[in-house]
Amino acid sequence: MALACPVSLNIDRLKNEIRQTYASVARDPGGDFHFHRGPEYAARALGYDFAELLSLPTVSTAPFAGVGNPFLMDPLPNGATVIDIGSGAGMDCLLAGRRVGPGGSVTGIDMTDEMLDRARSGSAEAGLRQVRFEKGDISRIPIASGTVDVVISNGVFNLAPDKEALFSEIHRVMKRGGRLQFADITVSRDLSEDVRNDIDLWTG
Amino acid sequence: MNEALEQAGFRGVRATHFFDSFRGTNKERVAGKYGVRGTNFIGWKQG
Repeated sequence: MALACPVSLNIDRLKNEIRQTYASVARDPGGDFHFHRGPEYAARALGYDFAELLSLPTVSTAPFAGVGNPFLMDPLPNGATVIDIGSGAGMDCLLAGRRVGPGGSVTGIDMTDEMLDRARSGSAEAGLRQVRFEKGDISRIPIASGTVDVVISNGVFNLAPDKEALFSEIHRVMKRGGRLQFADITVSRDLSEDVRNDIDLWTG
Repeated sequence: MNEALEQAGFRGVRATHFFDSFRGTNKERVAGKYGVRGTNFIGWKQG
């Protein structure tokens, strides 16, 4: 995988395109996008429990656009401190909040205001006070060093133009022995320079 | 991915699950061409 953004790709433009794409998803989850959204997809393709997703607020589940399922790995401990990098409308945060319970905490971090609005509405509707959301750029995670037990993420790291910096930042906020469990897209063949410079492929 | 995470200080990094995340989308063909799929990873910060 590419660890750094191709030098000819404008990083500010890339971030703006990503923000605009996911703001559009937040405004109209049923719109025309080149990736799947919603709870039916999450259950059918990614192994989420459909009944559990139906019990969550639609405001949080409809824009879900993850590519895997961080909950198929080790269970989140009761009372754990969890962060979700690029939390979108907050579906995974609500699931995490149920698992860590009222004695734990889950912080979702996202840079898109429209997604944060949905996420905050969803956590309020679900009554999960241990779940909160922060606006932030994932290259500068707004969390103190050495405070996080488990980091989750779903389909976001591929959007980061500098993955070395992102992984270093995630490492900084985690406690020693803390766990990183995430889903992302991977490619099994080398990408041509043209493909690596195609901004549409970085934003979705 | 594993190598990049281990360079950042993570240990025991491995892929655990794979997903055909783009089946049925308009990117299905290009996803197939480049072997694009959803992948679960797990790893730990050294204790």
